[in-house]
Amino acid sequence: MSEALRSGLRLVRRALSRPAPAVSVAYLMVLASAALLARPLGLDPLEEDVARMLEGPSWEHPFGTDELGRDILARAIFGARTSLTTAAGAVLLAAAIGVPMGLVAGFFGGWRDAVLMRLVDLLLALPGIMLALALIAVLGRSQAAALVAVGLTGVPTFARVARAQVLSLRRREFVLAVKAFGASPGYTLVRTVLPNAWSPILAQMIVLSSVAILLEAALAFLGVGIPPPTPSWGEMLRTGKEYLYDSPTYAVLPGLVLTLTILAFDTIGRALSAVLEGRDAPAGRPAGAAP
Amino acid sequence: MTPPVLSIRSLTVTFFGSGQPVPAVRGVDLDVGEGEVLGIVGESGSGKSVTALAAAGLLPATARIAGSILLAGEDVVGADASTLRRLRGRDIGVVFQDPSTTLNPLLQVGRQITEGEVAHGRIRPSEAGMRAVSLLRAVDMADPENRARQYPHQFSGGMRQRAVIAMAMAGRPKLIIADEPTTALDVTVQAQVLDLIARRQRETGAAVVLITHDLGVVAEVAHRVAVMYAGRIVETGPVREIFARPLHPYTAALLRSAPRIDAGEGRLDPIPGQPPTPSELPPGCSFRPRCAIGSGRDRCAMEDPPLRAVAVGHWSACHFADEVRRPAAPARASTDVIAVENRGDAPPLLAVDDLAVHFPIRAGLFRRVVRTVRAVDGVSLRIAPGETLGLVGESGCGKTTTGRAIMGLVRATGGAISFDGQRIDGLARGALRAVRRQMQYVFQDPFSSLNPMLTVGEAVAEPLRIHGLYDAMGGERWIATLFDMVGLSIKVANRLPREFSGGQKQRIGITRALALRPKLLILDEPVASLDVSIQAQIVNLLEDLQRELGLAYLFIAHDLSVVRHVSHRVAVMYLGRIVEEGPKDQLYRTPVHPYTQALLSAVPAADPEAAQIRRRIILEGEIPNPAAPPAGCHFHPRCFRATDRCATEAPRLEPHPGLASRRACHHAGPLAADAAVPRRQATV
Amino acid sequence: MIGFVVRRLLQLLPVLLGASALIFAMIYAVPGGPVAVLVGENATEEQIALVTQQFGLDRPVVVQYRDWLLRALGGDLGQSLHSREPVLKLIAERLPATLQLAVAATAIGIALGIPVAVASALAQGTWLDRLLSGWSALALGVPTFWVGILLILLFAVELGLLPAASAYVPFWEDTWQALRHTILPALTLGLYVSGISARFLRGSLVSELASDYVRTARSKGLTERVIVQRHVLRNAMLPFITVVGIALAGCIGGAVVTESVFTYPGLGRLVVQAIGTRDYPLVQGAILVILIIYVLINLVVDLLYVYIDPRIEYG
Repeated sequence: MSEALRSGLRLVRRALSRPAPAVSVAYLMVLASAALLARPLGLDPLEEDVARMLEGPSWEHPFGTDELGRDILARAIFGARTSLTTAAGAVLLAAAIGVPMGLVAGFFGGWRDAVLMRLVDLLLALPGIMLALALIAVLGRSQAAALVAVGLTGVPTFARVARAQVLSLRRREFVLAVKAFGASPGYTLVRTVLPNAWSPILAQMIVLSSVAILLEAALAFLGVGIPPPTPSWGEMLRTGKEYLYDSPTYAVLPGLVLTLTILAFDTIGRALSAVLEGRDAPAGRPAGAAP
Repeated sequence: MTPPVLSIRSLTVTFFGSGQPVPAVRGVDLDVGEGEVLGIVGESGSGKSVTALAAAGLLPATARIAGSILLAGEDVVGADASTLRRLRGRDIGVVFQDPSTTLNPLLQVGRQITEGEVAHGRIRPSEAGMRAVSLLRAVDMADPENRARQYPHQFSGGMRQRAVIAMAMAGRPKLIIADEPTTALDVTVQAQVLDLIARRQRETGAAVVLITHDLGVVAEVAHRVAVMYAGRIVETGPVREIFARPLHPYTAALLRSAPRIDAGEGRLDPIPGQPPTPSELPPGCSFRPRCAIGSGRDRCAMEDPPLRAVAVGHWSACHFADEVRRPAAPARASTDVIAVENRGDAPPLLAVDDLAVHFPIRAGLFRRVVRTVRAVDGVSLRIAPGETLGLVGESGCGKTTTGRAIMGLVRATGGAISFDGQRIDGLARGALRAVRRQMQYVFQDPFSSLNPMLTVGEAVAEPLRIHGLYDAMGGERWIATLFDMVGLSIKVANRLPREFSGGQKQRIGITRALALRPKLLILDEPVASLDVSIQAQIVNLLEDLQRELGLAYLFIAHDLSVVRHVSHRVAVMYLGRIVEEGPKDQLYRTPVHPYTQALLSAVPAADPEAAQIRRRIILEGEIPNPAAPPAGCHFHPRCFRATDRCATEAPRLEPHPGLASRRACHHAGPLAADAAVPRRQATV
Repeated sequence: MIGFVVRRLLQLLPVLLGASALIFAMIYAVPGGPVAVLVGENATEEQIALVTQQFGLDRPVVVQYRDWLLRALGGDLGQSLHSREPVLKLIAERLPATLQLAVAATAIGIALGIPVAVASALAQGTWLDRLLSGWSALALGVPTFWVGILLILLFAVELGLLPAASAYVPFWEDTWQALRHTILPALTLGLYVSGISARFLRGSLVSELASDYVRTARSKGLTERVIVQRHVLRNAMLPFITVVGIALAGCIGGAVVTESVFTYPGLGRLVVQAIGTRDYPLVQGAILVILIIYVLINLVVDLLYVYIDPRIEYG
């Protein structure tokens, strides 16, 4: 089992050795630290200063101020907390539901596979944002609702990835070997298949994080996200758009932070996938030139 | 003396990728003349495919080539793209190994065959259709008009390879390069395809470079042989001489270590160690670490021997070529009547009666069963303690499924399986566990039979842990003993599978199966994925283990030579049924079922003399789909003795009068020595 | 062929039924249930009783679902709570706008994505490939609403060339105005589509180029151009159709955000507005229509697959 962990760490190290993922990790660490240290450092997203509303960037307010005179930078950093925690929660929820679904469907096959994959099809019957909106319509506006809505849209991806992994591993002879020794299906699934399957699932979690952040922000932008006064990037873009003529930077700068965060997760996730699939070797492997 | 069609001098090919450059070919000289078949033989890492592909300019961009390759007088190495295209289109035809991926699945076969000629302006597009049909006819394809308009997935494996041959020979090229053309095919189909290649070559006078690892194929088809090892040619000469009087230790050792279809006694003489990886070659002669003559000799350690003439037309790259021991004549079994070992009164360890494994195919909206694949259709066999039963057959015969059903990996749909007197079919998993201690399984592919996440020590101990018997069986000491039994040191136990070679991994797989001290091992193609020289090591190991531990084996394989060597008794399967079964020497010397006779005659023997005079039975058609087997006797559409009775009445497996074998045939009997065997028309 | 179509429709039936049942059930998950939705929160007991009887809310749920479904199939999707107009009429008004945007965005996205994919695949592993792949990642990752805002900022606020809020102008009525109003949202959405299609197509092209049959074609001495055209592109046709289908379907149902940014009167915006006013019949109806369109597009893609790939049988 420890080899499973060690191989995973080796993968991560290899993935992060290239410049783009490394920069992304650095950026995310800076963001996360800022989010954690913001309050102790005295940044206040709620402090209003109506005299100085809708100002552009300045030394005191690097991102400018919003329509209530609040510091946009502070709000952006606090917005990171909202986005990152909601996204993390959503991804964990999606994995917690989707991965077991995929594992069971792939491992046992038969009616379990048929039923579970129908459920997945059901979730895929609508475009992601529509599904999320439908769920919000039912659940109302709250952080929990946003988490659940975004999380459920991610379930199909995990179910499919887990299922595909299990299907390909099931045919490998070492899985049959364990069965030949008399192992129970539980042992086979947990002790033999899972340690070999979890790396792509991890990569998927990172990639899905970027989607989760995007989706959460989109919901906020549409006005159905986490209710104010909690700062959130999407909400800031929504309000900022109304003041586009007065303060162009209002919407642009938080949007930039949002974009960079999404791209950072996406870059790391894709680097992990590339390493997993052996695509990180340079061009032109000798195709079919086996001696 | 006409100039050779292909002339290679000092060819080196190095691959540049991530990490160290890999020298795949390190200085090759060879000539192939018109109408000549040159067989290039080698194991993995020898560079044989790379050499041949270099001749066609088909190496990827990461390959750096030096030296000269002259094809019909034109230089290939320095040629520009349009010259290469012209050479490929006009002078070279290539037959690749895997027919299922060589053809474009979305284009009609006829179109693909004539594409090259049309592109190079030799025929007009309007003529292409007729040309495709005539080319298909020339490769014995039945119903060529319809076949030309079909798509590759509608062809069977052998038919696809015929189409590929037709495609390669479409433009009457001067040189044909065939890269392991029959490796992916069944033995009986292989015989057809080799026959076809030889015939077409005679008809067109093309030069052929045939790359293979199979010595029998070379003996059958080639005129001259080049043996490659670690990127260089180590010996080359006329085929008869090479086989009868090899003058390089590697060639001699290879010939000694290969199991022979025509001789099944005696211990194999394996080559110790394994072939070197191209990136880690030893200094001096690259064969020295495994060489009986060269070990301990300084000259071999320091100086890489050049290829020099040792006889007329015969070259060898060895400092001590004259010391090479001629391989002993294969130990042929005595012609005395075989004394059937009297195990009749001892109860069999494994008894299988009328085993059936049927897989339903469901289709349609309501997943109705539309067809049933009868993978195993009434198989009965017995294995006594300490005995090896070889189970042979081609693809789709059901041998692997039989093995898996006996092991409980696949559910049997009918029949009875008894182990040590106890019925085990239909047992629940819990009860089956106790039985599983006595009966274990060794898988085919060493690269996927070990869990990549476990160290090999953990992998070997895993069966013990699953049964909770780790301490009871002796814990670490027992594991060390297990490793020792297969010739591995316990010190390697905490390494991961990927650090071992194929042969070593297979040893680990074997000792893992022995951990619970079983009485019976079911081995499914245990040596098929290994190089010839390594196969011999594993075969010897299995025989030693059998003697020491009193194991019984069910040895499932398609390689008839290996099975002859290893088994006491042999059963031949065709399309889910056993067609003949008996003591090994009797079955191999006097087979009585027509399929067995055809099968045995189709296997190429590594003896060029015999190849010339041997009469081969070429079966027409291919193995039918197990989901739609022919009525009556499954074999009757391809059988040269079939009568009407065979189409309606399935023969039962019964003893053959006068022999110790059993067979399922209405017209069984030994082949008359000089009777002509009629060729049946291809009905498939 | 007809049989195949029918069979595929039947296979899609469970999903359609399941999804529509969930959509129907949405109204029950709301606190207070459908009664609260219809009457409001501060309702008297009489009002509740009246509404319950009037709308048949006391019957078993399954019966209500059946009736709802039957009515929906007949074209009656109920009435908007807000405006009292038939839901179907409101949807029908918005549908052409959504379709126009979806088609335009898909066209732009594919037109941008194909050259990027082809160049990337042919130059596999070089700096060009990395650059283009980075571009695709950008196109995919950047939020559409941010891109939209940037475009509005540039073209409407700064340059004043294009309107900041896009109205629906059918192409056949006034092409120039339609162009002016549709170009920005179509570009925004199209950027995303170009990212997806470039990435997906590059993947399939790379794997086709590495196939054995391409090596066979080279061994026959065919030119690279012929190889790419006749062999590679043909085999890449299948994934291409998939991508177009996914893109189109995604643009129809998933263009919500873009429509909101540009206040474009499409279906997506309708749904959002309906959620805001708790107009459940409208939400249900719109989502149902989107679901049906989505499924139909998938069906067409499947049929095209069967038509093109000889390996797939009708049976």
